[in-house]
This record gives sequence, structure tokens and C-alpha cells, in this order.
Amino acid sequence: MGFDFAFAISTVPTILGAIGTTLLVALISCLGAAGIGFGFEMLRRSGGLSGYAVRFLIDFIRATPVLAWLYFLYFVLPFYGVRLGALTVGILGLSVYFSGYLAEVFKAGIDAIPKGQQEASRAVGLSRLDTIIFIIAPQMLRNIAAPLGNYFVSILKATPYLAVLAVPEMLGQAFDIASETYRYAEPLTVAGILFLILALAISQAVKRVETRLLGSTRR
Amino acid sequence: MREQSPDMATEISGLNKWYGSFHVLKDIDLAVAAGSRIVICGPSGSGKSTLIRCINGLETYQGGSIALGGVKLGDNAKETALARRDTGMVFQSFNLFPHLTVLSNCTLALRRVLKMSRKEAEDIALHYLEKVRIPEQAKKYPAQLSGGQQQRVAIARALCLNPRLMLFDEPTSALDPEMIKEVLDVMVSLACEGMTMLCVTHEMGFAREVADQVVFMDQGQIVEQAQPEMFFGAPSHVRAQQFLERILH
Repeated sequence: MGFDFAFAISTVPTILGAIGTTLLVALISCLGAAGIGFGFEMLRRSGGLSGYAVRFLIDFIRATPVLAWLYFLYFVLPFYGVRLGALTVGILGLSVYFSGYLAEVFKAGIDAIPKGQQEASRAVGLSRLDTIIFIIAPQMLRNIAAPLGNYFVSILKATPYLAVLAVPEMLGQAFDIASETYRYAEPLTVAGILFLILALAISQAVKRVETRLLGSTRR
Repeated sequence: MREQSPDMATEISGLNKWYGSFHVLKDIDLAVAAGSRIVICGPSGSGKSTLIRCINGLETYQGGSIALGGVKLGDNAKETALARRDTGMVFQSFNLFPHLTVLSNCTLALRRVLKMSRKEAEDIALHYLEKVRIPEQAKKYPAQLSGGQQQRVAIARALCLNPRLMLFDEPTSALDPEMIKEVLDVMVSLACEGMTMLCVTHEMGFAREVADQVVFMDQGQIVEQAQPEMFFGAPSHVRAQQFLERILH
């Protein structure tokens, strides 16, 4: 039984039908993870008790498997009266899990900004929030465009974990076809190729943004 | 408590600062009258940069008081912030914002702090960029400029906020020799316009030309304070004599 191209093509519409879910989960999780991760890093920098708590939380998140987060949010929280839909749990789980890693990336990006930038901001009277928005964040993004893009690709590639919650993303759809037809090679290959195309598209986009950010402003 | 005079751009009394157990500023008293130009010099590690960084709140201090335009720092957070806004700072390493154009470097605080419109802010920024003689570089990024040009932009950025006191922290120390002059020329013309200036610098020619007073610091103390003719002609303190011998060949 060889690779049946006609059958492979016939699986494309079904698998492609799930690309919306995959992209939605990946996109919102990227934003969520970046938002939570940046918040973590700001709290960690502010020091004090919340700083210590966040430091512990980041280590905790990075030391637990992403599946454990998904299972916990989906199967354990309902015992405490918190019932979330599968899609919500998937997005929340990926966001929280990757926020721990992104906080570390943000840390490196901020540490690389010379101290004089903060001092100059204070000297011209910018508020702390304005300093973060107009001085720190843009320079941080410029420093971390490449690793940030890598994590966005990682988040995309983690979306198949949502299969355990029966969220119909691409790889899950492919596997469903395989289970029904007992033909594994074709649907899984199609799903793999689609993931490859998406990942390449993201890294190309990141490269463009990086070139734009770095353009003429290189030190 | 002595009266804090509003005619004083800044008035420092009994200032003490420690880095851990290191006593970096010892009982500093210094009054800078509005319109005066004071040059602070001294060997490295003498506390001169730390002193002017205390004045605009980049460093904390443990004893004494600093008043800006008659307002004592630290008494009232809002007044302190306003007093600091009246103080412009120029750094040794320029500290321009590398991701913003020259023009945006100058307009950012005008727009965010003083809430001006883009047009108003750009008009003011261009006015000061002309003053430091680089209006044609307004659309460029700092990395595209020479060191001397960058420092002149930094001066324009500080001037945009219309400060009553300009602090210079070794503004020419990071520059190649041929660029020092263009920055000093700008500083001299500022002085001629009556800007109150407090400069940490080793440019003794500049001190001779524009300073009303030269302050010599050593080991965290003001050792000597005199008019430039006095200071360069006949320094009374032996440490000042040694310092001058070393830097004036």
C-alpha cells in the first residue's frame, strides 16, 4: 500500500478547514503569552514581594509540562467550580505556559538596553509608564525580534496539544481521518506540510519586522 | 533653616552621600546663582558627576538638602518633579534614544510631558536644532550622526524643555578631539545667552573662557572654589596645584 496522492489531496479540504482554529489558537496564545510574560517581567523588575512571587511562578511554569497545564485547567478547575470551554482552556494553557519562557526573553531584551536610556528618560521628565511604552519596549523588541519569532513558531507547533481537549485543530483533524480510514501516511503528511508552510510564513514575517526595526537605527 | 532664594538656580547645603560604606560626597555646600556658569573639575572618583546627578534626582543622597529655583527637593513629590523638569541634563555618553529620529528625540518629552501638539513640539525642536546647528539632520537616526553631532542633539533635546539650569556631565569626554570644539562652541554660545550652567568638564580652556567660578573637588569634598583667573593663576590648595600641573602641560 503506497502513498496515495489522490487520497492525500482529498484530505486537504478537511484538514485545511481546521487551519482557522489552529491560527486562532496560535495568534491569541502568542498575544496572551507576550502580554502575560511582559507583565511578569515588569512585576519581577519592580522587586518586593510580588517580584519574588512572580520569580517563583515563572520557574514553576517552566518546570511543568504544557499537557499538565491543559489537563489541570480542563479537568481539575471544574472541581473548584471553574468551568471553561475547551478552546478557552487551550488558549489559556498555551498562553500561561509560554509566558514563562517569554518573560525570560523579555528580561534578556531589557537587560541589553544601556542604563543611560532610563536615565535620559527621567532627565527629560517622562513618567515610568511612558518610559516603558516609548523607550524600553521598542528597544526591547528590537533586541529580541529573532528569539520572539522562534517562540511564536513554537506556540504554533504546540497547538496540536489541544487535541487532548477535542479542539478541532489541524493535526487532530488529520488524525481523525487516519483513524476512520486506517490510512495514516496521507493525512498526517498533509498536516505536516501545512504546519511547515505556516511556520515558514511566521519566520519570514518576523524577519521582515526585524529588518524594519533594525533598519537605520542600528547602534 | 536658611531661606531658599528663588534667585538661586540651585542651592546645595550639607550634602552627604554614601555608596555603602564609601563616603562619596562630604558636606557639599554650593550655590549657583541664576545666570552664572560654574565649572566643576577634579580627579576621577572625586564625586563631581555624582554631585550633579544628585541635583536632577538620578542619585539619592543621605544627608543635606538640594533646592532648585527655591523649591527644596523631596518635600513635595509634584513640586520636585516640576523643579526637575526645569533642569536639563547632558550626559557623557549622549544617551540619545537610538530608535527615534533626531526630531522625535527632541519632541517626545514635549508631547508626552508638556502635552503639546505635534506641530508645536516640532517647531520648538527645530528651533533648538538650529541653535545647535544641525537642523538638516532632523530626520536621521542617532547612529547616522557623528559623536559631536549626537551630543549637540542631546543638548537640543535638553533645551527643548526650556530649562532654567543646564547640567553637563563631562559632555566632551567621549568625543574624538576634532569633535570637541563643535560641542564646546554650542556650550559657549549658550553661556553667552545667559543660560545658567553647571558643567563637569576637564576642558580648562572652556572654564577659562566662560566660567564665573571654578569648583575643584577631591575625595568627595569641594576643596577650592574661585574665579578662573584666581584658580588657574594661583590655586591655593596643594591638591588643586597638583591637579592643574597634571592636566595643563
